[in-house]
Amino acid sequence: MQSHKMIEKKRKSRDGKKHDRPQKFARKSKFSKKRGKIEDDKRRTGPRLPQSLRIELDRINPNDQSGSEEDEEGINDDVYEYEEGVPEEESKKNRRFDSVENYEYELPKDFKDENVDSDDDDDDFDGGENKIAHHKGKKGHLDQLDDDVEDEDDERHLRMLQGITGMPSQAFQDRKKTKVVSEGYPESEYNPTRDVLDGDGRIAIEDLLESIQGKPGYRELRKITRQVEKKGKVLQAPLPKEDRDRLERSAAYEQSKKDITRWEPLVKRNREAPTIMFDKDTDSGFSTIGAIASEFEPRTEFEKKMSSLVNDDNVMAAHKEDGSRLLELNKISLEDYISSRNHIAKMRSLLFRHEVKMKRVKKIKSKTYHRLLKKDRLKGSVGIPMDAEEAKELAMKQEFKRAEERMTLRHKNQSKWAQRIVKRGIDTQDEGTRAAMAEQLHQHALLTRKMNSMKDSSSSDDSSDEEDSENSDGSDEDKAPKLLAKAREKTRRVLEEDDGVPDSGVLSLPFMKRALKKRKEAADEEGRLAIQEFESSLKELEDTDEAKITKTGTVIEPKNKIRSSSYSSDSEAELEAQEDIDIGLGRTDDMQNNINVNSVSLYVDADIPQDSVLKNSELVKDLGPKMTYEVSILQSNTWKKMSSSRNEVDTNGKRSQKVVEPATHNQDIEFEGVGEDSDADSEGQMLDGILSSEHKSSYKLPSQAELIREAFAGDDVQEEFNKDKEEIMNLENPEPEKPAQLPGWGQWTRVQKKKGLPSWVLEEHENAKRKREEALRKRKDAHLKHVIISEKLDKKAEKLLTGTLPYPFTSKEVFEQSIRMPIGPEFNPATAVRALNRPEVVKKQGLIIKPIRYEDVDSHERGGEERRKSGQKQKIKRSKGRVKAVVAKS
Amino acid sequence: MGAKQENGDPEDILPPLEQELSHDLDMKVKKYLRGEGADLEVLKDKKLKGQLYTRENLYGTSAKTAAKTEKWLLPSAGGYLEAEGIEKTWRIKQDTIGREVDISSAKNQYDIVLPDFGPYTLDFTSSGRYMAAAGRKGHLAVVDMKNMSLIKEIQVRETVRDVVFLHNEMFFAVAQKKYPYIYNRDGVELHCLKEHGAVTRLQFLKNHFLLASINKYGQLRYQDVTMGEMIGNFRTGLGRTDVMQANPFNGVVALGHSGGTVSMWKPTSAVPLVKMLCHPGPITAMAFHPDGHLMATSGKERKIKIWDVRKFEVLQTIRGHAKTLDFSQKGLLAAGTGSFVQIFGDFSGSRNYSRYMGHSIVKGYQIRKVAFRPYEDVLGIGHSMGWSSILIPGSGEPNFDTWLANPFETTKQRREKEIHSLLDKLPPETIMLDPSKIGTVKSGKKKEKPTKKEMEADLETAVEAAKGTAMKKKTKGRNKPSKIAVKKKEIVERAKKPFLDQQMVEEEKVAKKKRKIGEEIALPTALQRFARQKATA
Repeated sequence: MQSHKMIEKKRKSRDGKKHDRPQKFARKSKFSKKRGKIEDDKRRTGPRLPQSLRIELDRINPNDQSGSEEDEEGINDDVYEYEEGVPEEESKKNRRFDSVENYEYELPKDFKDENVDSDDDDDDFDGGENKIAHHKGKKGHLDQLDDDVEDEDDERHLRMLQGITGMPSQAFQDRKKTKVVSEGYPESEYNPTRDVLDGDGRIAIEDLLESIQGKPGYRELRKITRQVEKKGKVLQAPLPKEDRDRLERSAAYEQSKKDITRWEPLVKRNREAPTIMFDKDTDSGFSTIGAIASEFEPRTEFEKKMSSLVNDDNVMAAHKEDGSRLLELNKISLEDYISSRNHIAKMRSLLFRHEVKMKRVKKIKSKTYHRLLKKDRLKGSVGIPMDAEEAKELAMKQEFKRAEERMTLRHKNQSKWAQRIVKRGIDTQDEGTRAAMAEQLHQHALLTRKMNSMKDSSSSDDSSDEEDSENSDGSDEDKAPKLLAKAREKTRRVLEEDDGVPDSGVLSLPFMKRALKKRKEAADEEGRLAIQEFESSLKELEDTDEAKITKTGTVIEPKNKIRSSSYSSDSEAELEAQEDIDIGLGRTDDMQNNINVNSVSLYVDADIPQDSVLKNSELVKDLGPKMTYEVSILQSNTWKKMSSSRNEVDTNGKRSQKVVEPATHNQDIEFEGVGEDSDADSEGQMLDGILSSEHKSSYKLPSQAELIREAFAGDDVQEEFNKDKEEIMNLENPEPEKPAQLPGWGQWTRVQKKKGLPSWVLEEHENAKRKREEALRKRKDAHLKHVIISEKLDKKAEKLLTGTLPYPFTSKEVFEQSIRMPIGPEFNPATAVRALNRPEVVKKQGLIIKPIRYEDVDSHERGGEERRKSGQKQKIKRSKGRVKAVVAKS
Repeated sequence: MGAKQENGDPEDILPPLEQELSHDLDMKVKKYLRGEGADLEVLKDKKLKGQLYTRENLYGTSAKTAAKTEKWLLPSAGGYLEAEGIEKTWRIKQDTIGREVDISSAKNQYDIVLPDFGPYTLDFTSSGRYMAAAGRKGHLAVVDMKNMSLIKEIQVRETVRDVVFLHNEMFFAVAQKKYPYIYNRDGVELHCLKEHGAVTRLQFLKNHFLLASINKYGQLRYQDVTMGEMIGNFRTGLGRTDVMQANPFNGVVALGHSGGTVSMWKPTSAVPLVKMLCHPGPITAMAFHPDGHLMATSGKERKIKIWDVRKFEVLQTIRGHAKTLDFSQKGLLAAGTGSFVQIFGDFSGSRNYSRYMGHSIVKGYQIRKVAFRPYEDVLGIGHSMGWSSILIPGSGEPNFDTWLANPFETTKQRREKEIHSLLDKLPPETIMLDPSKIGTVKSGKKKEKPTKKEMEADLETAVEAAKGTAMKKKTKGRNKPSKIAVKKKEIVERAKKPFLDQQMVEEEKVAKKKRKIGEEIALPTALQRFARQKATA
């Protein structure tokens, strides 16, 4: 029996082993799965030994690998060993393949392991000592293996931790000890533990208490537990968190609602109040800058640093000392002071004078004056040293002037005035003219000399002097040919003197020589041409000298023509008027000549078509004396006479105008007489400027015209008015066009004719008509026969109306009635105006508006005025303690 | 609400005298409330309701204070003639009145005889202190009526047709033979308003600072006297007239024409606001009641008509002829013709005018102008032999408001008032028939022609709307995007079309106008020689 049992046991144990093994594998594989990732990383990143080296290592250190026959995991766990990645099916990365977690074969629940029982039997049988040993001996091998593997794993893990954290491995040791032996499969509702299945697995308090039986305090504890048990109260499980929160929130809301509703009347009062006054606590404290500054406290780093510096004793002391020293330095003697004061006063007065002068100058409107002033200034500035730019500018200007002078020869007696004077002979001129001429020539000389000096300084001064002298005493007519001759001479000289070609250097090269020669030839050609030109111009000059007089005659001719034409184009009336004036002038004997001149000119313009140049020259001669005559008049004392005669003429003119005027007046009066007779009457009386002293009764019978007008005025007034009204109505609401058939349209059969116009046309017409009728009926003057009220829109007045109702209003009537009362001081008694125009918020300047504070308000009050009164009467309770910030308790 | 209750309860207890007083007060309050408040119960907006409620309360208190002030604080009440028994008020002569009244009032009965310078026309300043008199033959005088002193007298040696004070006594405008002139109090000519031409009548609108004139050719002009700007220039087209009166209530100027029509004008409209046929014959005179509701006209057919200007209806027709008419501050109507002045009064308050007084000056004197003196019971009569002044009891306002018009004004006050009135100057467009309409909502009438901007906006909205139209889903083959795009384009085009058409029409109009102008300029070559040549210099 024993042996039989043993055999059986062995067999079973073998079976168990058989059972065991796959279990182990599975666990291992799972384990490896769990750590797979970490190890994978390690493996991938770490250095790896080549295969040959590894083999060698194996050979040397076979112990390293637990040399068991069935250990593949050991190899797998080796650091340097390549591990095949977990197959995808097993990694369950995305559960693509199978959702089954447990690959193990599971024993049915009711399966009874005999072996266990037998084991127990065994234990009972032979003291279990050897059995355990035996069991161990059997099982231990496996365990050892397993432990080995795991130990190694843990060690490595420890090392890693050590490496990472730098802490001794002991720190992690205990962790290792609290190793949880997990179940073969996860505990869940599908795999309940056996205790749960049995139903008596609950741990009672007694069970726990048993362990501390006899320890101090045990008794009390038991007592308490007993009591609790007796009362038998079962604690309910707490509500889910969401529900709990919801309840809390609602409770908090109730609370806060209560808190806030307390404020409602207060807010309502403020909202309804037409004006909110902030006139309490008007004391806004100090408001001077000093007061504000004294309250300043440094807060930031910078401010603190600054304040420490400012308030530093050393600095203060230094400042004080320095200040006193400076004050000492400030002392000055009386004389110095007086002298400086005098100086300042002088400067001031000078400045003031200058200012006044400049003001006066600025006020002068004359352009000429300013021009002259500017010129003066420019001249003055020549002497004054100035900066480079200004100097440059000035130089440029001067150069420009010179160039201009060269171009125009303006100062070279070219102007008409100068020519005329020259022609008439300078000696005959008066002092002033001569001086002017001299000045002009001097100017020219100045400009040209400068030019020469600028152009070539090498040119001899004496020559320029010569020129100057020539210019100054000789007229320019002689000068020009001389210049030309000189130029000719020069060019000739240049042409003649053959500058020798250099024998050495670059220029001696043959092609250069050729080029030079060519150039020279060209230059020679040019020079020759220039000489020719000079000669020809010289000749011309001589010619012009001869022809000068005639030329001037021809020059003057057009002017005369213009004059004559102006005379001829004048109307006869004007001529007559002129003659009139002439006659008027003629009274004074001196002016006889003038008439002659006039007549001469008139005569000339009659002659001009046939006149030759000679005559013109004569005329020029004639004009000359006339001018002189006038001048002589001016010089002699006849001017007064003339002016007096002018005056006479003026008065004459006035008189004549006056003579004319009455006529026109009369005409006017005639015209007026048609309009209003009485006007004419009065004017008739007033004609001579003196009012007639005798009074005529101003009332008189209405004139014929007036009577007629009155008689016919009221004839068809009504009819006219009606017509007028109709017209205006048509203008403002035009009548629709009558429907008409366009000839040729829709008429190519008789059918159309019979049918008449298309119905839609008629309908449209009818519609338009009806619309018009309606509009006419809506007019304000529809039922007033004798009134036309214009319906025209006044664009300018449109802007005084609003386009839309202002916001809170919804009905036009209410709005219009709300603005019916004027609110200005002109329309209301002084006591009411203020209330009517009070702004929404009344606040004193500088008042700080504090946040609203709770106070008791009777919520049934109404109306601003009443409220204010009651507010004054009843004492406002302020309950600061009751004011709470509303905080939700969640 | 509260006020009503207050009034309601104690009234039963009050003695009859006080009851009457309170009734009187109520009437006055009603006057000052300027109409009923709106019915607030209709409003749904509680906030607005509350606001309006407080506002109405304020109005109520204001009106009440005003009424009380009027009742108790105004110093004097206006008087009037009361006839006893068979006495008639119009039989009472001036000397009878003169015997009864105090000296200061009796001083106002006088005749100034100025036989030389023709019929006189008069104008008073708004305070009634100063009077300008203008004789037809060029005599101008400014008189201080308080102490009866002549301030200045000048002779312009020209026909003078009208004289009118500007905003105060410092300036007055005179319509002379050719042009109107503006003189200052010292008789210095300040301006010659040549643009106006030969003016027959002048009127000054003192709230708007506008000088209105009608000239011989029937042209009405408005000139701003502050800046000198010409505000309006309208051809009335109704012929020459010398009847012109401004409505003191709204500033509308009325002209009486020979066709029997009265036309009312404002400076911003070229057509008359109202044209009414008042008389079958020419209109000879016209006057407005100070409250602006009544107008009196007289025609050549010997009738005086009183009109309600708000309704344009005749209230009353009085037989009689008037060459000149004037309303007093209290609403008496004076009508002058020949050498006789008649005063009509309405003391019943029912707008029913009856004979009140009469006065005849020396036979042969022709009355040219009657004018009531403000704040006095005095009527000034300008006639062919100078001017006279008579007492008409109950014509003037007994209490003056110094802010409005102060007969005892000092120089400083006058200066200040000038500035104030300038600051309060109303723009010319505020002249309209019913100035209380200002600030109200525009009537729903559409504008005659939309502006270009509006048209563009309309077009844009129409295009947007067209773009937004949802397309129908069609069967498979016909739902191509290209087809949809084409269709959409078509829709947009169709929406645009009416606007574009309108634009085209307008453009064409403009082009036509241009063409017309161009044609006028470019005559055919054959006719060019007949074109007026410009004078060549």
